[in-house]
Amino acid sequence: MGHARYMHLAEPAHRPSRKAPLVWAIGAAIPWLFAVVAQIVWVAVDGRFAWLHVLAAVGTVAGIAVFVLVVPLWRYRVHRWDVDPTAVYTRSGWLVQERRIAPISRVQTVDTYRGPLDRLFGLANVTVTTASSAGAVRIVALDSDVADRVVAQLTDIAALGAEDAT
Amino acid sequence: MTQAAAQDWHRLSPRMLLVHPVHEVLRQIPVLIGSLVLGSATGNPVWTLIGIGLIVGYGLARWFTTTYRIGSDDVQLRTGVLQRKVLSVPRNRIRSVSTDARVLHRLLGLTVVQVSTGQEAAGDTSFALDAVPAREVPGLRAVLLAHSLAPAGGDVERAAVPGRVLARWQPAWLRYSPLTFTGLLMIAAAVGVVYQTGVVAALQNSGLARVGAGALEGVGLLGGVVIGALVVLAASVTLSVLQSLLTYANLELRRDAELLHLSHGLLRVREHTFDMRRLRGGTLREPLLVRLFGGARLDAVMTGVAGAGEASQLLPPCPRRTAEAVLVDLIGRQDAVTGALTTHGPAAVRRRWTRAMALPAATAAATAITAATAGVAVWVWPALVLLTVGSVFLAVDRCRSLGHRVGDGWLVTRAGSLARRRDCVAAAGIVGWTVRQTLLQRRAGVATLIAATAAGVKRYEVIDVPADIAWSLAATTSPWVARSSWSRG
Repeated sequence: MGHARYMHLAEPAHRPSRKAPLVWAIGAAIPWLFAVVAQIVWVAVDGRFAWLHVLAAVGTVAGIAVFVLVVPLWRYRVHRWDVDPTAVYTRSGWLVQERRIAPISRVQTVDTYRGPLDRLFGLANVTVTTASSAGAVRIVALDSDVADRVVAQLTDIAALGAEDAT
Repeated sequence: MTQAAAQDWHRLSPRMLLVHPVHEVLRQIPVLIGSLVLGSATGNPVWTLIGIGLIVGYGLARWFTTTYRIGSDDVQLRTGVLQRKVLSVPRNRIRSVSTDARVLHRLLGLTVVQVSTGQEAAGDTSFALDAVPAREVPGLRAVLLAHSLAPAGGDVERAAVPGRVLARWQPAWLRYSPLTFTGLLMIAAAVGVVYQTGVVAALQNSGLARVGAGALEGVGLLGGVVIGALVVLAASVTLSVLQSLLTYANLELRRDAELLHLSHGLLRVREHTFDMRRLRGGTLREPLLVRLFGGARLDAVMTGVAGAGEASQLLPPCPRRTAEAVLVDLIGRQDAVTGALTTHGPAAVRRRWTRAMALPAATAAATAITAATAGVAVWVWPALVLLTVGSVFLAVDRCRSLGHRVGDGWLVTRAGSLARRRDCVAAAGIVGWTVRQTLLQRRAGVATLIAATAAGVKRYEVIDVPADIAWSLAATTSPWVARSSWSRG
């Protein structure tokens, strides 16, 4: 052990795209919108039990405040990523936070995923898989050009490694 | 060309012409009953004969329509009487070859050969040769595994070493088997089946039930419960021991240079062959009841082999020394298998206690409220005490179990009480590290370190280590972590 005893890893350097919190917020708002519409319909159809309506409305407002406002900003503060010539390193999560590092010599595939919202805002998510189902590294909500650069960089380095990757 | 290709296709053993119809009849019992009923209802036995004829014919047709081929790059299996299916497996992807011989197969000297790539799911995609003559199996296995073993030196080493037996089943191992839940599960299943068939409903008003009720009045309710519990216990022990005897008798674990052979079974004989070069470590599992009597089970941590269940099991419950000795022999690291572990410190201990005591605390609170408002039965209080004492033991045992050991290219982690396990994983097999912290873990200053690997259960956790040493554990095990550009200190 010796010298490595108190060794630690510095935080990864890069943040996701500046648009990330907005996209996450919109993504989270869509299901809540259905809840709001459902409640309006409910009030229109059946106006009895006012306290029940108030309770549901308070719950919905609290849910929207947490998941549409707080969580995206929280995640943006936590999320970081970085790539160096030997490894890819990310930090993610909000309540449960994870730091994950994988050596590029063991990378098996590099995938890019763009959902409908991502395409609208020009974002992309990069997934780096290794031979382990517990070892996939996800870099989410990157600007498209940054994502393309990361993918090119990773595939370049990964092609050099000639190991079995298991 | 086509002539040569056609000759490459082999049929399975012709003796399967005897086995297939029998299996088919057993499998198609509903059809058989249907044709019997139809035959007797119409008074025309021809229907019955036609039914049996169809089933037997189908069984025979299976043999005629099944062929396999061992090509230079892949092995192929063609099956299907009505729906033709061709299954191809690239030979360099074959990770293990296992065999299975049920009673009927054994009587006829046949063996089912199962080829596994470690990727496929169950069912459709499994590549099984059902069945080939038992004496052809060693040759066939060598041919099937030759491709994946070729880089190590091929035929030379196979001829060189006759093999060494690592462990052999002893009747004394049966003493660990009454201590599993297998027997109880079997009884539960049997009771379920009996209920399904409506036997219980029929018994309810019968003379037998009245005799039973009379006997119950004789011994009282408590006596009845005690007798019932003893009967279930005795039946469960008997069933567990019997099942263990049938499954594991004659177990032999043998090592031939780069291959590991495991064979076991009294009537139905199963044999697994593992490629030692894919071994990335081992797991000693010590369920509480087995551990109390000094026993342990051994699982292989191997790429291309499922991490849980029978696929990776090397030894059933056996004396812990045996399991440890075998693991030391396999991985060559005495310190990883038996060495002392580093504990995780006071925060981890506190978290074990909080978790274990949460259930009794909540139950006590609920009981107190109920007692104050509605009142509770007398037996609730001793039950509560029992629950608390059990939880205290659980917490103490979990604290004692928790530990890790890193260095010299190995990660060793131990945790759990009811299902304690000690995982020994080679650093060479670790393809990523995760440091995970929940909100409560951040406040307690601890983290869970997760090693990702392609072998075994894919993730091996070191639970609740102090957060400031988590990365240094990873770096000590895998030097590439220390060499990365983020490494500090």
